[in-house]
Amino acid sequence: MSQLRIADCVPEGDLLTSGHLACPGCAAPLAMKLALKALGPNTIVVMPACCFTIIAGPWPQSSLQVPVFHTAFATGPAVASGIRAALDTQGKFDTTVLVWVGDGGTFDIGLQALSGAAERNENILYVCYDNEAYMNTGIQRSSATPWGAWTTTTPAQYPEATNKKDILAIMAAHNIPYAATATVAYPVDLIDKVTKAKAMRGTRFIHLLSPCPPGWKCGDDEGVELARMAVQSRVFPMLEVEDGRRWRFTMEHAGDPVEPYLRRQGRFRHLSAEQVSHIQAEIDAHWQQLVQRTAQDALVPA
Amino acid sequence: MPETITTTDGARAIPEVAMSTTSTLVTRTGSWKYTRPAYHDRVAPCNAGCPVGIDIEGYLNLLREGRVDEARDLLLAENPLPAVTGRVCHHPCENTCNRRTFDGAVAIHAVERAMGDLARQRPAPVLKGKRRTERVAVVGSGPAGLACAYHLARFGYGVTIYESAQEAGGMLRLGIPEYRLPREALDGDIARVVAHGVEIKCGVRIGEHVTWKELTELFSAVCIATGAHTSRALGVPGEQLPGVQPGLVFLRDVNSGKRPDLGRHVVVVGGGNTAMDCARSAMRLGAKVTVAYRRTREQMPAIKEEVDDAMREGAEFVFLANPVEFQEANGRVCALVAERMALGEPDASGRRRPVPTGEHFTIEADTVLTAIGESSALEGFFGDVEGSDSGLQVDALGGTNRDMLYAGGDVTDLARTVADALGAGKRAAIGIDRHLRRHHGDTAELNALRFADGNLSAVRWMGRDPIRRVNPVNAVVGVDDLNFAQYQRVPRHADPHLDSDRARGGFDEVNAGLSTAEAMDEAKRCLNCGVCTQCDVCLIFCPDAAITRAADGSYTIALDYCKGCGLCAAECPRGAITMTQDRP
Repeated sequence: MSQLRIADCVPEGDLLTSGHLACPGCAAPLAMKLALKALGPNTIVVMPACCFTIIAGPWPQSSLQVPVFHTAFATGPAVASGIRAALDTQGKFDTTVLVWVGDGGTFDIGLQALSGAAERNENILYVCYDNEAYMNTGIQRSSATPWGAWTTTTPAQYPEATNKKDILAIMAAHNIPYAATATVAYPVDLIDKVTKAKAMRGTRFIHLLSPCPPGWKCGDDEGVELARMAVQSRVFPMLEVEDGRRWRFTMEHAGDPVEPYLRRQGRFRHLSAEQVSHIQAEIDAHWQQLVQRTAQDALVPA
Repeated sequence: MPETITTTDGARAIPEVAMSTTSTLVTRTGSWKYTRPAYHDRVAPCNAGCPVGIDIEGYLNLLREGRVDEARDLLLAENPLPAVTGRVCHHPCENTCNRRTFDGAVAIHAVERAMGDLARQRPAPVLKGKRRTERVAVVGSGPAGLACAYHLARFGYGVTIYESAQEAGGMLRLGIPEYRLPREALDGDIARVVAHGVEIKCGVRIGEHVTWKELTELFSAVCIATGAHTSRALGVPGEQLPGVQPGLVFLRDVNSGKRPDLGRHVVVVGGGNTAMDCARSAMRLGAKVTVAYRRTREQMPAIKEEVDDAMREGAEFVFLANPVEFQEANGRVCALVAERMALGEPDASGRRRPVPTGEHFTIEADTVLTAIGESSALEGFFGDVEGSDSGLQVDALGGTNRDMLYAGGDVTDLARTVADALGAGKRAAIGIDRHLRRHHGDTAELNALRFADGNLSAVRWMGRDPIRRVNPVNAVVGVDDLNFAQYQRVPRHADPHLDSDRARGGFDEVNAGLSTAEAMDEAKRCLNCGVCTQCDVCLIFCPDAAITRAADGSYTIALDYCKGCGLCAAECPRGAITMTQDRP
């Protein structure tokens, strides 16, 4: 069969309902839909302030068919630690506590709480769906915004001047049992990773690239394609790190040039050819670093 | 005691923390959209590009699902001679295949051939439907005649084919050498046509043994499919010399079992399939062969594989060579004088025109075979039927200017290939059926029978399409409508060939074909352009969970919730979802 297998690799049934308030083409509800397929109904979601706070719907509605606990921006992992303790006290060890939060609540505002929970190796699953800026409040830059990108706080004349924080390496440095990257373009890979994480104990971290059509200035129907291009151009490689030591790629990366990925997005439209070359050089350097880190991995290209 | 409040779904106790009591299904986010998706099955380019009008995508899809018998029946419903076309068709379907730029076109010819060979071992399908009282005569048993007779028989008519040769098959038997089309493949396909109740009377020449007048009195309609059997003359001095002969005459001799002595060096003039057949047959008789063609390789009208094979087997090609004279020695041709040509501006056929350079050169020849095209011998046969030197004039359904006379194949002025002849025979059959039933449909009705702007479908004409189509749109799906990210590269199966030395040594079939298992594998390479295969990609990628699967496997879009983002259409591997502008 020449079509990639997908139908029999993705579980039936959705715990995300229609009518949620995500923008058309938003990847976050797609990511949530896929993650919940892997996690099942025995899940409690802890949700610090992020786009999904809105997507989940206004009280008394909820777009998630599992309990959701909305929390303040900086407190996701702390609240999750408390819920975990309460569940454990009640003997509910098999309930998954999922922290679902954006890049602002992870890279910037929630970082100390996350680091603390990871240091204590709290038994929680933390998913950062990263749309690379504070999209919900009007596209302000975060420390996940890539170098050169336009946001409302980094206008095209003065675009983002710092590199995106390497959050996977930060989390891996906590030597947690599992840290991985994933994205909506590869649903089977995403579900495999969430399923694997669900079966483990301790702090598990998934960094999930989540394209945002209004913030990235792309078409509503382009998010999945852009996520695919991000992976294949090695902007956002697909990785797993176990115990902070064993790094491996979870698929092959074509190594396509980054330029087509950038040019499809209005937030990079102002970039000059030199700036694109600079981004390509940064990607290549990061890739070399990853190739060294994954040196024991069978998928490393020669 | 907790206080109570009244919400949209009734009075409830206020919990200690604010808790949701209902889902977001109350929010009809469908009102946000300005475009909406819809499932529309469209036409795969192979179907539109097939001159026969075969539902190629349809039978490949059935094969993918392992429904081999249904696939065979669908193929046979449109094409009476799959074992033949699987071998000798120039397969324009593969030239239009959307897979060709990804990892190579699906080897449709190889699958068709395997299906044709499988069909030979199975009984003909039982014909259902009303028998009709009218009888139809078909003159000529080549591909056009066989196709016309076959489809008429399936429509319920009694059909008699008159063939002037001793065996049925026309150019398939007399023109195409056995190393390309083994006689058991041809005989098997013809036997199935006969099994449909078609009577074939061989050795009967109309105008000689039976008059045209008698024919038109005995039958309710007549289809003329006599072919084009006259080699066109070069019109240069020395063409009448012994040793210069029309390629078609040579092929007819070889294909009826004769092994003429051609001498040591044979020159073939021409660049079409007849020229390639002459060259390769002559090599099999031990001659050294030079092909002289007035343009270059790129402009050769022959099937590319035939040129490749001729080269592989050792034929020498002299391009840009236009014959101007044949020289004589001892009362026989001894050489061809040719003028060196250069390529000029494109002509009416779109190919670059050869222009003379004034430079002449000589090629030695013991025998010259001319193959620069064929014309049909129309002398006196048809009386007042309109036609020109290039053939009879026919309408979209094979009708001539005479009410009951239809025509198809090389005798008409349309493209001269086996596939075009089969397609023309089918059109004439539908034309005759409409004529005899006094059914006068309009152009729109006729166009609905076409695969996009391709040939007519007999299955659609009979109203028996076994494929369930979702809101079909009769438009071709282009390569840009597909999402190749959902496919993996699977190399095309190459045809196994006899090695050149063995091939040259006799008339054994050169292309050994794929095994049935390999052909079934190849069928699975089909992308199913434009036709939903219920692969779940749309269902999985919908961020609004607005797509659900019905009991029969098809999908429903909840337009109350769909925001019109278009991800389903963008991610659909095969262009089976179309986004349309929402009305305000």
